Amino acid sequence: MVTPSLTRREFLSTTAAAGAGLLLTSCSPDSNSKSAANKASVLNKISIALIGCGAQGQVLLDSLQVIEGIRLVAVVDIWDYNRNSNVRRLKDNGFDVKGYHDYEELLANEKDLQAVVVAVPDFWHAPVTNACLKAGLNVYCEKMMSNTIEGARSMVATMRETGKLLQIGHQRRSNPRYIFALNKLIRDAQIFGRLTAAQAQWNRTVTNDLGFPKHSEIKPEVLAKYGFKDMHQFRNWRWFKGLGGGPLSDLGAHQIDIFNWWFGTPPKSVMASGGLDYYSNHDWYDNAMVIYEFPLAEGVARAFYQVQTTTSAGGGYFEMFMGDKGTIKMSENPSITKLYREDRADSWDDLVAKNYLRASATERPAGDADKVDVRETAPLLQYDIPVSFAKKIHQPHLENFFNAIRGTAKLNCPADEAFRSEYVIHKANEAIAAQKLIAITAQETEA
Amino acid sequence: MSEIHVFYHSAMATQFQVRLAGEEKAYAAQAAQAAFTLVDDLENKLSRFRANSEISQIAQLKVGEKLRLTGPVLACLRLAQKIEFATRGAFSLSAAALKTQPTKPLWSLIECEFSLRCDSGKLEFDLGAIGKGFALDGMAELLREWSCPEFLLVAGGSSILAGDAPADNAGWSCGLGEDNSPQRLLLKNCSLSGSGLAVKGQHILDPRTGLPGTLRHRAWALTDSAAESDALSTACMILREDEISEITTKNEGWLVFLQEKENWRHLGLRPMPPVA
Repeated sequence: MVTPSLTRREFLSTTAAAGAGLLLTSCSPDSNSKSAANKASVLNKISIALIGCGAQGQVLLDSLQVIEGIRLVAVVDIWDYNRNSNVRRLKDNGFDVKGYHDYEELLANEKDLQAVVVAVPDFWHAPVTNACLKAGLNVYCEKMMSNTIEGARSMVATMRETGKLLQIGHQRRSNPRYIFALNKLIRDAQIFGRLTAAQAQWNRTVTNDLGFPKHSEIKPEVLAKYGFKDMHQFRNWRWFKGLGGGPLSDLGAHQIDIFNWWFGTPPKSVMASGGLDYYSNHDWYDNAMVIYEFPLAEGVARAFYQVQTTTSAGGGYFEMFMGDKGTIKMSENPSITKLYREDRADSWDDLVAKNYLRASATERPAGDADKVDVRETAPLLQYDIPVSFAKKIHQPHLENFFNAIRGTAKLNCPADEAFRSEYVIHKANEAIAAQKLIAITAQETEA
Repeated sequence: MSEIHVFYHSAMATQFQVRLAGEEKAYAAQAAQAAFTLVDDLENKLSRFRANSEISQIAQLKVGEKLRLTGPVLACLRLAQKIEFATRGAFSLSAAALKTQPTKPLWSLIECEFSLRCDSGKLEFDLGAIGKGFALDGMAELLREWSCPEFLLVAGGSSILAGDAPADNAGWSCGLGEDNSPQRLLLKNCSLSGSGLAVKGQHILDPRTGLPGTLRHRAWALTDSAAESDALSTACMILREDEISEITTKNEGWLVFLQEKENWRHLGLRPMPPVA
């Protein structure tokens, strides 16, 4: 089990409430980071390339442009429109980048690369990642690892064979707020008591399939070479079997990974319902509801996950962990994050004093049982995590990858760890198709 | 007149519209969706209400610290600086910061490093008077890339950006003020923004004093870019008329409309667009 950590440098570049800084730093010390950070400033920057400039590639580019200590030398995309517009924008913003058509052209021409960031469609993750690892590069690959379990397994095998780093893009694993909540609130203070259930969701409104500007089409023979039937499939690969894994893979992967990470174990079973009920031109389920059973030491905890692509209702995207003493509703969006204390739980005042929590007010002491003071109605206390995070949400995970290359950090989501989540996400799609409960052994989830 | 397709999207605490003419509906819908995706991306970068936005990161800078910016944020801040200078400080990203700080915080763009540096105070930027216009400009560029030049873009009813006119039309009919305003202009390839007190009441601070300083009930600005019209219309709420005249004389592409009871007057050298 990997316990993601931030290096001291990463911690210091996040922002914590007054007093919480020490708590944060003590949460995951990295004694080598200071000298290593100094060393990085005098050594050459890490040369990297981005392979895949689609929607997720754009998100990663936003972070790659502001991370210090790296040199973005190339972007790769088979779509001229995407590649050329990104090269132009990056040059305008001070990056001397080249554009390449595909990863093979990149590897043939750029001999000084140390790492690549892979954000191509899922079914290309394994071939591209394996080729780059074998070429001696460290790889940050977006989730899902692959559209097949076999593809994901091959990535772990190549990582082990080559000894290179392979980070999978579950970016919450490096998010200081998530790490704090897990390490300090759940594991250390155990403020939610015995965890009995979890619930997570990511619902999205109906959208048109993605299109493309006139005169920007990729030639049919090029599309065919790279496994796409046509431009519509190229632009909307997430919804087609053989290319992507549908909404459970696109959105659910992030959150089901949190189930595994925070419960500290893969589930022992999955049952699910879903269907292709709305979109007539997709392959994958448009709506899915999944239930996992997690075998915890105290007993079973059940986790419900829903992803709908036909409504945005439900209050945003979040992961909620529920215990007999309290609940945390966690999200990348701090405004959605909430903590609830059960009335039967002990006071959280001492945790507020120790900067584990931030409270909207001080709890009114109950005092002597035979006396009471009467005044205005006291508001219900609101609690929050005392860690804010003023960076782009993918930035810490990429920084963790680059620090691991420098030798100053361990990967927060190496491929073998990510595989445990990968496996059970694929099993959820399988459970929908089978319309039955599927048992999962811990052994199965090991690559 | 060709059919006009209208699409809606909630963002930046208001509703955006894309109206497209001269295009088949399915293609128009995809182009509009691409434009709305761009707005969402800009909101993620520019909103002070998003904890991970670059504007939120800028607010965390200490004096002397710098932040590397992405292209769109740098472009927007460049424009804001230019308009602040052109309006003699009547428009400023830092107006709201004066609610919590005694003096306006100072900042610099380090162009060779593509960075912003905090020079004093806390950079609590509020892009509410330029961000929506900046988004419209980006949407327009994207729609032209998509070969959809006949568009009218609307941000919350306070800023519009007109592209080419629909076929057989002299322009998009745009009114000044209430619904179905009698004061209408036919606009193409320009932007019109309005500011006023009707919806939010007295909410505009004079960045030069930190105090509420509106001199009029409503003002409109007509310029080439929506970022400019958005910011200029806000500035014109607090600028004296002689100041507006001087500013619009120096910026020949700017035209300002002021309302006095039932009458509208315009200030500036830019030719009046045709009246609808």
